[in-house]
Amino acid sequence: MRTLLILWRRELMTSFLSPVAYVTMSTYLFVAGWTFLQAVEANSGQQEMPETLLFVSVFFWLPLFVTSITMRLFAEEKRSGTIESLMTAPITDLQVVLGKYLGAFCFLIFAAVPAMGIAYLLQWLSPGIDSMDGGCMLGGLLIFLVISGFCIAIGLLASLLTRNQIVAAIACFCAICFPFLIRSAGSSLPFGTDRVLEYLSADTHIVDFSRGSIDTRPLVLYLSGTCFLLFTAIKVLESRRWR
Amino acid sequence: MIRVEHLTKRFGGRVAVDDLSFEVKKGEVVGFLGPNGAGKTTTMRILSCFLPPTGGSASIAGYDVVREALDVRYCVGYMPESVPLYMEMRVNEYLRFRARLKGLRGRRVESRLDDVLASCSLESCYNRIIGHLSKGYRQRVGLADALIHEPDVLILDEPSIGLDPNQIRHIRHLIRGLGGRYTVLLSSHILPEVESVCDRILIINHGRIVASEATSDMLGLMRGNRNIIVEAKGPAAQIREGLEALDPVVRVSSTQVGQWERCVCECTNDSDVRTEIFDLARMHGWVLRELTMNQANLEDIFVAMTEGGER
Repeated sequence: MRTLLILWRRELMTSFLSPVAYVTMSTYLFVAGWTFLQAVEANSGQQEMPETLLFVSVFFWLPLFVTSITMRLFAEEKRSGTIESLMTAPITDLQVVLGKYLGAFCFLIFAAVPAMGIAYLLQWLSPGIDSMDGGCMLGGLLIFLVISGFCIAIGLLASLLTRNQIVAAIACFCAICFPFLIRSAGSSLPFGTDRVLEYLSADTHIVDFSRGSIDTRPLVLYLSGTCFLLFTAIKVLESRRWR
Repeated sequence: MIRVEHLTKRFGGRVAVDDLSFEVKKGEVVGFLGPNGAGKTTTMRILSCFLPPTGGSASIAGYDVVREALDVRYCVGYMPESVPLYMEMRVNEYLRFRARLKGLRGRRVESRLDDVLASCSLESCYNRIIGHLSKGYRQRVGLADALIHEPDVLILDEPSIGLDPNQIRHIRHLIRGLGGRYTVLLSSHILPEVESVCDRILIINHGRIVASEATSDMLGLMRGNRNIIVEAKGPAAQIREGLEALDPVVRVSSTQVGQWERCVCECTNDSDVRTEIFDLARMHGWVLRELTMNQANLEDIFVAMTEGGER
């Protein structure tokens, strides 16, 4: 546990030491806020809840944000050779994967959760907007954390499979976009899979959760998916021993 | 301390290490020599538990590198080739991180940090960012990292590669100081370094040990004919005939260098005819400018043992 904390701390520290991280954070906050304001203006006079608009705006930029955080996780270590020093220290593959995963996840929380404050800022500036529903905000935040965790696991695995950060970024971005695009792709297929694909699609879950409808099925889906991806990442890291 | 038995490592169809066996005793400093691609780095990676062997076994301080990898890692300080470090960290942050990762806690971290900073002459770089350091200082940070948890065994892969002569001298001095306290296995291409630092030398080629001797005995391996170089002024034919007439001289090849006759006399095993040549010169009134015996050095042995090494 202590080793895990040491690795987590270093990972988090590396994120905050890099100027790229601050640029990414501020860009994310700016574009998510701007998208939210555009969405509010576009939907003025309609029944759409601001909580839903907020979480859809925040999720829209998530693939890019997660890609920029995760692409360096292992690819950079492999490129610079530090993976050799890391893996010859008395630590296990599980600790390495979890340390990196938790470091990236915490950085995402630090960077993205302030974006939720945009809704309260809007409410404060525009007295005409009703107060934010705490349940909806909590539901949206919950699904945001769960989906973000799943996406970071995808990015971590992609970064582990290559030493080139660009390749890792492209692979991660394509894989993360898949759960967001699955419903629109499925609706045009002829074999009636749309109900199944709708169940798997991330945007359905985001809308449902941000309306306060908390369903445990998507939570299980994303949490089990995250566990599976992290397990695969550990096996990929171990695979150097089989080659 | 290090025991390697019939160690084999294959990458696909390519054999990198082939039935390698050797032993390193506690406190010994052993040099690992071999041409590029001979299997030095692969062997070191196996010993530091980064790669598993395909066959055979290796143990460090009694722990098997496959079954007891975590115990082995506590016993080993490994410095990989090209010394990979986290460039964005400060020297003290990096060494603290590595110390904690290697199991040191509390005050022990600080005391070991002070020790390694002093022994690697890094005090002046305490607060500097690693990416801003020169290659020589980064090399020292790598060595400090390998030393920080006081391991029984140090495995150093090319510790002085890419350094200037002054930096090489510093690193060499540092490693020499580690002998006795630590068991050191180091690989190097710089033969005088190995000769001056190591108690014993292992020469590896095509993944196999071709020589394993104490450094002082290694030169004895290079038996065969010796060459004596004579540069003298006098009648060329008389000099050549005089040298050929000496009993142990097998062959004389001579060249004219201005007014001087430069002869290379090939002599039979272990014979030294320099005194006889001097007497000959005095008797005939030749002026002698050079009289040298070419002794085999580590480079000759290395070349002889690893000739045709590229595969």
